Amino acid sequence: MNACQDIVLSVEDLRVSFCNEEGKTEVLHGLSYQLPKGKVLAVVGESGCGKTVHALSLLKLLPPGGEITSGNVSYKGENIFALSAEELRKLRGSRISMIFQDPMTSLNPIRTIGSQLTETILAHKACSKLQATARAVRLLKKVGIENARKRLNEYPFQFSGGQRQRIMIAMALCLNPDVLIADEPTTALDVTIQAQILKLIKDLQRQSGMSAVFITHNLAIVADVADEVLVLYGGYCVEQAPVQTLFARPLHPYTQGLLHSLVSLKRKEEHLPAIEGYPPVPGSCLSGCPFAPRCPQATPKCREALPALQEKHGHKVRCWLVK
Amino acid sequence: MKILAEINHLFKTYDRGGWLFGKKETKTVLQDVTLHLGEREIVGLVGESGCGKTTLAKVLLGLEPYQRGSVKVNGAELNRLSKADFKRLRRQVQVVFQDPYSSLEPRMTVRQILAEPWDIHGLHKDKAEREQALTALVRAVGLDPLHLNRYPHEFSGGQRQRIAIARALALEPQLLVADEPVSALDVSVQAQILNLLKDISRQRALSMLFISHDFAVARFLCDRIAVMYKGRILEAAPTEELLSNPQHPYTEALLSAVPVPDPKVQKQREPVTHKADAKRRQGPCPYAARCRYYRQEDCAAPQPAPLQDNGHFCACVRMPFKKEKSRYAV
Repeated sequence: MNACQDIVLSVEDLRVSFCNEEGKTEVLHGLSYQLPKGKVLAVVGESGCGKTVHALSLLKLLPPGGEITSGNVSYKGENIFALSAEELRKLRGSRISMIFQDPMTSLNPIRTIGSQLTETILAHKACSKLQATARAVRLLKKVGIENARKRLNEYPFQFSGGQRQRIMIAMALCLNPDVLIADEPTTALDVTIQAQILKLIKDLQRQSGMSAVFITHNLAIVADVADEVLVLYGGYCVEQAPVQTLFARPLHPYTQGLLHSLVSLKRKEEHLPAIEGYPPVPGSCLSGCPFAPRCPQATPKCREALPALQEKHGHKVRCWLVK
Repeated sequence: MKILAEINHLFKTYDRGGWLFGKKETKTVLQDVTLHLGEREIVGLVGESGCGKTTLAKVLLGLEPYQRGSVKVNGAELNRLSKADFKRLRRQVQVVFQDPYSSLEPRMTVRQILAEPWDIHGLHKDKAEREQALTALVRAVGLDPLHLNRYPHEFSGGQRQRIAIARALALEPQLLVADEPVSALDVSVQAQILNLLKDISRQRALSMLFISHDFAVARFLCDRIAVMYKGRILEAAPTEELLSNPQHPYTEALLSAVPVPDPKVQKQREPVTHKADAKRRQGPCPYAARCRYYRQEDCAAPQPAPLQDNGHFCACVRMPFKKEKSRYAV
């Protein structure tokens, strides 16, 4: 994990702000991590915690109003933010690809699935149209779409939500990327299909050494695919640890609360130990720890000053209570 | 246990096309569904998207007509209700939808949203009494009376779902239909809402049809679970029985696919995956195309009829009550 060439994606002090009439609001407050080759990093968090914004900024895809105010993202030692538009275009899709959250709006409604899939392949690879089509058919089969060849000529509206999501996944995987950024890739899917997709991603990771940043709110999926977990809350990284450690010994009260409040298939609970309150609105964070208003163990100090991210044996946590 | 809602041999079809272009097609979305809901009973309906869960809920709410079979709430057949009787039904059956962002009218305050059912049904006309009832209602779902004058956009997803639950409770129904009420919520808030649903159903002696795709959530809340696939109920049993002794191959496949939030366990699990075999589609079993236990001789037999009582029903002709325990049993 220490050898420099093994790190495929490295993020340093990434800060993102959004501008509106009321001024600038920082929604991501300095995120840093390193993704080694062949590993899966899960980024866990609730709506508004900055996880999607982080994913979009990795490839400079922030919507208008969004701005990367500081930080660096490098791919195999190369600074992504310093690339020209043309270089960035070559990188996107072929070496780093992304699965977007919303399958309904991410596909072009007036073009067939086949033309959208082969477009990506033809744009990045020197091959014939026939070869590209064959590749598209193989991929659709891999993500579990029946009758793949015939369905290439159909339009997005002829597919169900789950199928569209799988087409998005096929598109992201069609050039065997080194890094896959997946933003809630299975939220819209049924558990059976979800299991299939997760297996596909794990297989690719094993076979071709693909790395992935997996953004999700589902801790069971994290347990399935992740090697390392980063917990985001209110735009801050509050905890980061290898997956086994995080589930066995969560240190941050938020992570602890999340893990306790999960419904279990294994046992029947009478009452769930829920975290009180609601997640913060982006940008609303005042001074102090972002979780302090909901934290059962909060002290006056927690409300006044933001704790630093401290590290011990590869387990990082941002909490005053952890010594 | 007294039966509150009774669905017997229900068939529901949708017509497609046929007006201007193409041939008229009839698609069967519910096929021979039999499900009984007792008083104070919470029944979970689990299945993949598109299997007919929501259609069944709509039929039970009287929002969709049906072609064959019967649906009775408190003994009254829904297809034959007069307008006045239907209004009376509304007071008995209420609904909580999945998405609290689209199910609350953005131009109404919480007060208006909660009082609208009372206006329609002519309840709590006295101003002071209404105010008291409103306060009690918002408190019951864990909101503050100060929230009454606010608009839905001022609330988070979890709070909105609390408002939606309060609206469903306003008429003091006997039966609550909850269609995936927590799947659109943040993880840390899901537990709150599940606790709330459990508490109010006990306090108010409610029955509930709880639609979910998540077995873990269904286990927490439900007394009984029915597993649905392609418009049919394939297995139904008391919760603990169904999870500890799944009989239908589909239930088994579903259980194997639910990820467990424990990396040590989950990384060892191997979900049942299968390729669909279109040749098997002709037989009576809807699951035959994906079934790993398929045997042509056996699976050509007609499906067993749904049980009337609340025992363990399994629609598979091969598996019922096999001796050895499934390795996906919980």
